[in-house]
Amino acid sequence: MSAVPASETSLPGVRYARREDHRLITGTGAFTDDLRPEQMLHGHVIRSPHARARIVRIDMTAVKAAPGVRWVMTAEEVVQQGAGSLPNAFTFPGRGGTTQQVATMPVLAREQVLFVGQPVAMVVADTAAQAQDAADLADIEYEELDPLVTTDQALEPGASQLHPNVPGNLSLHFESGDEQAVAEAFARAPLISRHRVHTQRLVGFPMEPRAVIASHDASTGITRLFTPSQGVTGMLKSVSAASGIPADQIEVLTYDVGGSFGLRSNPYSEHVLVVLAARHLGRPVGWTGTRSEVIVSEYQGRALTLSGSVALDRDGRILALRFDDIIDLGAFSAGPSSLIGARNLSVTMGGSYRIPALYMNSKLVYTNAVPMAAYRGAGRPDIAFAIETLLDHAAHEHGFDPVQLRRINFIPPEAFPYKTANGTLYDLCEFHRTLDRALELSDWAGFEARREAAARQGKLRGIGLACYLEASGAGAVPADTVQGDFDEQGQLTIYGVTGASGQGHETSFATIVEQELGLPAHRVRYAAGYHGRALMGNGTGGSRTLYGAGSAIVELCARIREQAQALWTELGGAAGSSPELASWIPKLDAAQRARLSAEGKAQSGSTFPNGTHVAEIEIDPATGITDVVRYVAVDDLGRVISPQLVLGQLQGGVVQGWGQVFCEHAIYDERGQLSTGSLMDYALPKAGCLPAVEAEQIQARTELNRVGAKGVGEAGCTGSIPALTNAMMNVLRRQGVAAMDTPFTPARVWEALNPAA
Amino acid sequence: MKISIEVNGKAQSLEVEGRTLLVEVLREHLGLTGTHVGCDTSQCGCCTVLVDGQGVKSCTMLAGQADGCRITTIEGLGGQSLHPVQVAFTECHALQCGFCTPGMIMSVTSLLAKHPNPTDEQIIEGLAGNLCRCTGYANIIAAVRQAASAMAGSAA
Amino acid sequence: MHAFEYRRAASLNDAVGTLATDGDARPLAGGMTLIPSLKHRLNQVSQLIDIGGLADLQGISVQADHLWIGAAMRHQQVADSAEVARAAPGLAQLAGLIGDPQVRARGTIGGSVANNDPAADYPAAVLALDAVVVTERRELAAADFFQGFFMTALEPGELITGIRFKLPRRSAYAKFKHPASGYAMAGVFAADLGAAGLRVTVTGAGGGVFRWTAAEQAWAGGSSVPTLEHPDLLEDIHAPARYRAHLAKVMCEQALRQLA
Repeated sequence: MSAVPASETSLPGVRYARREDHRLITGTGAFTDDLRPEQMLHGHVIRSPHARARIVRIDMTAVKAAPGVRWVMTAEEVVQQGAGSLPNAFTFPGRGGTTQQVATMPVLAREQVLFVGQPVAMVVADTAAQAQDAADLADIEYEELDPLVTTDQALEPGASQLHPNVPGNLSLHFESGDEQAVAEAFARAPLISRHRVHTQRLVGFPMEPRAVIASHDASTGITRLFTPSQGVTGMLKSVSAASGIPADQIEVLTYDVGGSFGLRSNPYSEHVLVVLAARHLGRPVGWTGTRSEVIVSEYQGRALTLSGSVALDRDGRILALRFDDIIDLGAFSAGPSSLIGARNLSVTMGGSYRIPALYMNSKLVYTNAVPMAAYRGAGRPDIAFAIETLLDHAAHEHGFDPVQLRRINFIPPEAFPYKTANGTLYDLCEFHRTLDRALELSDWAGFEARREAAARQGKLRGIGLACYLEASGAGAVPADTVQGDFDEQGQLTIYGVTGASGQGHETSFATIVEQELGLPAHRVRYAAGYHGRALMGNGTGGSRTLYGAGSAIVELCARIREQAQALWTELGGAAGSSPELASWIPKLDAAQRARLSAEGKAQSGSTFPNGTHVAEIEIDPATGITDVVRYVAVDDLGRVISPQLVLGQLQGGVVQGWGQVFCEHAIYDERGQLSTGSLMDYALPKAGCLPAVEAEQIQARTELNRVGAKGVGEAGCTGSIPALTNAMMNVLRRQGVAAMDTPFTPARVWEALNPAA
Repeated sequence: MKISIEVNGKAQSLEVEGRTLLVEVLREHLGLTGTHVGCDTSQCGCCTVLVDGQGVKSCTMLAGQADGCRITTIEGLGGQSLHPVQVAFTECHALQCGFCTPGMIMSVTSLLAKHPNPTDEQIIEGLAGNLCRCTGYANIIAAVRQAASAMAGSAA
Repeated sequence: MHAFEYRRAASLNDAVGTLATDGDARPLAGGMTLIPSLKHRLNQVSQLIDIGGLADLQGISVQADHLWIGAAMRHQQVADSAEVARAAPGLAQLAGLIGDPQVRARGTIGGSVANNDPAADYPAAVLALDAVVVTERRELAAADFFQGFFMTALEPGELITGIRFKLPRRSAYAKFKHPASGYAMAGVFAADLGAAGLRVTVTGAGGGVFRWTAAEQAWAGGSSVPTLEHPDLLEDIHAPARYRAHLAKVMCEQALRQLA
């Protein structure tokens, strides 16, 4: 090991926002590529250049003979080592009781390749340059086949079959709700509107490229795997399953992580390959992706087509809502794409609204593109996007005010806890409160005057809102567990398995402890990841970590309080009094201190973050450029532990939504080649794209977990994608454009405003 | 070939290849892993360091080109204390995952050296070569303003 | 990258000599284009001869009838130069719009012009200001220099030593940045060369920089900028040709408004 995470330093006189910050602002953090051990060998992955092809022949003779090469792995070596495919985490029952047909991704391609970038082989050599030079000598013959790049192509009757066990390329035909009830409501309804949204494929783009380092200790038989992850336990389980190596022979270590957004929760081929290579060669092996390589091979986000129809009565009350969805899984089920396409879309398909009849019908389809997986929100922003744009569309079509249409359909406060027509139980949400405040803050009422003033300057101003609701992660394991020990200075170290990638857990968890125990936050340390303790817990994701692991920490504090009280009394503490922990614990001896060690366990399910976001935009018709003039977010996130961190999450999430709405798009051409293979073609948001979000939270504590928080990680983009889109459509509809897909790039906006003759 | 560079005030004499990049010298030869590699088209700015006082993308500079230059990396910015830009970054919560942060801080330092009292437009243009995926930039812009203020205050 | 030797040129002759004798050697100035392309293994060189520090390639000077900029001057130096700001403000403006601050610290005018990326900025100024590209062996008029997509009149091993720009009465540059790459989706340089006439050049919209004579005529006649018609406008996943044509018009109007 060439580096270990820096211990916490902080300098006096600096008002650190977070405990994490000192090491990160001084460049002494420990991201995986920083940890290169001595004698590390380098892996280089050979990837498919074709979207679909039969592998005719692989001849690695010249590669094996190249200078510095230690091992060459193809599917053959992988299978010999006992490894197989990357695991698929979720399956769901299909319509009519059918079983989902799943195609898992082989660690290295066998017989065929199904997306550009699919790993075919790995070369391990003394240096990265040698591995790459050797890889150039690979002699691989492909027979190119016609790819099915879009879901339309994949679903066409008579389309060729990508996987032997998946007829029609249809992995799952899923449904939720009551088709009959919805059909009846539509048959009776005086007013109906339909609207389709397509959420384009996105590159998640955490700034730290994917990286894996493995080190094998022959004396213990244990392989240590360093990699950015969202929680070591989940990664360990998956790598063990994929590699065939028993879980007790692998340790996963995650230190600093340069962003995740959902993409680090699944293992990749490289995780398995690097572990196998380290064990086979008895030397540490590392692989760090180049950015181009990561863009082409990292699983992509969104990729959903949601066709909504709403039935209304003459007053605008929603009688029924139906969605017909197509989910582009990509070539394999390699992440939670089925969870996204089935559970995540359907669980909150009614949004913030009281709707008597709901029905969703989703087709999950394989295509010749990189697999789709979780990206900030994992389907919940998509369904919120679909609902909120459908309502605006319906309002416009049938002459309702878009705000009023929402108001009369909100689930009223007295209806909570509210069970949706397809079985989701919401706890109290105060939609009117966030709506009223957002309208007030954004001066919604004064918009017309601003629009006219802008028009006089030749600009097109629009305003749009979204009253979104999302469901946070339900949790994939029975409970979240943490353990805590005190050291001789009275510092509490809490061990948990969930790790951050920017969320600031080390800070917010310490704040929870301070609130619960009175121990100053600077005396609390959170150690994420494996520390020789088998702890159960969810990884970070689904906006649930603050309340999930946080509730376990609240329980831990309760246990510590009890144990401290008992010890205090035993040691002669006056009846009715309690120890002041910060000054008392350093006076204890080791045995006494050990009696304060405790475990905290909590089971927390989904919560329902919600809110109203309002975006005001201005389009320059000459160029098609859109300026976001103002962005207001009034959210119900439950109890807020760290206001500054929550604001940071909102701003970051809102801007990621901005990226989806205005500039990001992973584009595959008709041969399945990724046209946007680098930052030269894939546009990311830059400084100045959006002003500071004006944010307020109503701070209504939820009773669904011990912390009282609802979560914020994914709320920003869940609100911003529909709010910004509705603002754009507010302008475009006036200009005669009935519908338009994201991204609203300047070129596309201009084209929409200036259709070719 | 041999190069002589000054890194964070210390003279270094190193054996490198023609194709060795400055960022590789810093990360691998000198163990200064604070400077990060985030892309391969010279756009993300995570690798930004100061070369003779100017912000430069160290992934797009050969070690040979740096021969004879004075380099400052994030590790050398504050010394024993923190540079006002570093202070402003934490106080304004201008970082989340921290991966883009060293390069961002070096770019801001370079910007403020040139424009001690930058306009919003100068700030945005000054950050054009640095990408952040986590913060949404608003706090970074606030940090630039705070640092500018702090540095003007101490210069007064 | 594939391996190569790196060496600093001792003199211009040294550089020229090396390039003449080693067909696989390449000159290196800023490296903002060459180094990324080597990193992507798009080309392979035997050696890079660094000319960035050569005294012969430095300097900015204004003479009676021209502005001289040495080939190795960095974009930031051109953007910050008081002389350029006085003599040809559009050129200073253009240099300040290239890439980003870090790129401007290293990239050079000689490197940009020799590369002739169809979306680069400098070619618009070089063509608009009737510049002469001076190499170690001859002088090339701008009109003859740019020969299309990444192609110039330079012979193998020929080195630009500097560029001699005509002094405009007025000049301005307006650029629409590509949202991803930051290159020009359309960049328009407008220059009033006095007796030599008006120039409007366009970069980024087509297969290489070109003069937009219809816009020049409109400018001369005081009429509005016409629609751009050009056989070679770029059409790609980012924008159709007619959008680029439209952008060129908008940028031209913007540049001309600055000169009014």
